[in-house]
Amino acid sequence: MHRYLIKRFLLMLPTLFGVALVTFLLIRVIPGDVVELRYSGDRGSVSQDIIDRERARIGLDRPIWQQFMTWMLGIVRFDFGTSMWTGAPILEEIKLRFVLSLQLAIMATIVAVLLAIPLGVLSALKQDTWIDYAVRLFSIAGLAMPSFWLGIVLILLMLVVFKWLPPMVYTPFWTNPVQNLAQLIWPALAVGYRYSAVATRMTRSAMLEVLREDYIRTARAKGLMQKLILARHALKNAMLPVLTVVALEFAFLIGGLVVTEQVFNLNGIGLLFVQAVAHRDYTLLQALVMLVAGSFIVVNFLMDVAYAWLDPRIRYR
Amino acid sequence: MALNPPLDRALDVEVPRTRLGVREAVREFCVRRPLGAVGAAIIVLMLAVALLAPLIARYDPVVNDFAAMLAAPSGAHWLGTDAFGRDVLSRLIYGSRTALLVGFGSSVLGATLGAVLGVASAYFGGRVDLYLQRVMDVFLSFPLIILALALVAILGNSIPNLIMAIMIPMIPRSALVIRSSALAIREMPYVDAARAAGFNHRRIILRHMLPNVMAPYLIMLTAFLGQAILLESSLSFLGLGVQEPIPAWGLMLRGAAVEFAEAAPWMAIFPGLAISLSVFAFNLFGDSLRDALDPRLKTQ
Repeated sequence: MHRYLIKRFLLMLPTLFGVALVTFLLIRVIPGDVVELRYSGDRGSVSQDIIDRERARIGLDRPIWQQFMTWMLGIVRFDFGTSMWTGAPILEEIKLRFVLSLQLAIMATIVAVLLAIPLGVLSALKQDTWIDYAVRLFSIAGLAMPSFWLGIVLILLMLVVFKWLPPMVYTPFWTNPVQNLAQLIWPALAVGYRYSAVATRMTRSAMLEVLREDYIRTARAKGLMQKLILARHALKNAMLPVLTVVALEFAFLIGGLVVTEQVFNLNGIGLLFVQAVAHRDYTLLQALVMLVAGSFIVVNFLMDVAYAWLDPRIRYR
Repeated sequence: MALNPPLDRALDVEVPRTRLGVREAVREFCVRRPLGAVGAAIIVLMLAVALLAPLIARYDPVVNDFAAMLAAPSGAHWLGTDAFGRDVLSRLIYGSRTALLVGFGSSVLGATLGAVLGVASAYFGGRVDLYLQRVMDVFLSFPLIILALALVAILGNSIPNLIMAIMIPMIPRSALVIRSSALAIREMPYVDAARAAGFNHRRIILRHMLPNVMAPYLIMLTAFLGQAILLESSLSFLGLGVQEPIPAWGLMLRGAAVEFAEAAPWMAIFPGLAISLSVFAFNLFGDSLRDALDPRLKTQ
């Protein structure tokens, strides 16, 4: 068990390094840089001398490998530097946005799990009946509808039916929970529904597979109640893959809310990412991508640990 | 799949029977998987609309008509007009070309390149497999849309570039799935036989292994198609994908569609319906295809 965990942990490091390298290089391939963009408004009136000096000030004139080393050394000390566009420390820039995106991701996950598990189990139990078809149609429809469009339709519906618009200005949860939830529940529903579709399908197929196992037949043969079989034998064993899907989607959700945040006018990580690309704000972009990809890698690792812990068969591989 | 040419030729005689087999398979698919058949029908319809767009559309999708701005649905404009007076239905019809072009282009390329990489990775095994897996792990760590956004920023947003930007994030996802199927095939006697017959790596990979991962490949391809269409519309919605005045569904939802959502809801509703319906059709078809091709999921 320990050897497996250590091996798995060490495997994470080259991936993280690879992500850092790819991010660093990809960003620098985007045409134009932050200095060019800042002075692009008054093109021509700014002398090359000023541009060169500005580049030197934020360190863009140094060789690529040196810039990379500085960044890596910073990360190790948990210092992400300052934004090239605003000059503010990166952690300050990200902190508030991260709280918002994280809350939205958590709420969407709750919506998704509450929808997915009952529906998935029901669908598996009633395989190939109209209930199964209805659940599957519902979840396939969730995968098909873009969450930004679902958001527009939700807002439109509330406007037409209730003559009410959700608040458009963000209030932190601790300042005014009601106001906060009134705003965030709609994007959470739009995203959560879509996200539940994946989990529902996973629950269904995992349940179908488990229900075919010998131990379920044994449990039935020895006369256990159907409810008990489902709760104790089937659901418990089917939950592992579902847990994985939910956790991985959650990790992606934090950064993958780009479009939804746009529709609901939410100033989260996704919106920040789009702005950072537009400004060629290398330091901010690097930090954001590392945050998103890093959380995915870490969640992935934690899921493997949980697997090994929950399913003894894996440890001995 | 036969190894020697004379046997192939001998099989030619029975071609009519194979054709019948295809028809029978299609009929059986329709009867046993009604949902999948519905999906397939919608896909065929969409393809027809995209091909015949100039014959079906009553208006030019890019010409402004300021006399008919934001007109409600009527006999003249079935689905109303947008903020430039362009007919929404005609733009939807032409938009299907963009969606299908980007969708098919990126997912076929992405799935195929990924499949070749996945099979090669499984076939060679050892160090090649290890390094390829590590590289794939790195690319799998980026959310699809984040990587696509960065690639669009690098490449620019013409349609071929958009196809590239959506295709690249799909490669590692395809490679991952195909590799695990190919690992089992590598141990098959016919692969050993091909190796013993002295065929080179390329031939074994392309002719003997690749055709046998067809089932997972097709399942993945249909899933990618839906995702690619969604991704294209998301990028266009953000203003980073297809550019005005090219008609594209995601682009139609941008800007004025949201601004005038209350006064002219048809601008916001119909393009979204078009996106949903097409992705829905691909997913429906893909799901049934998976059930039909994956024996583990067959009804008891």
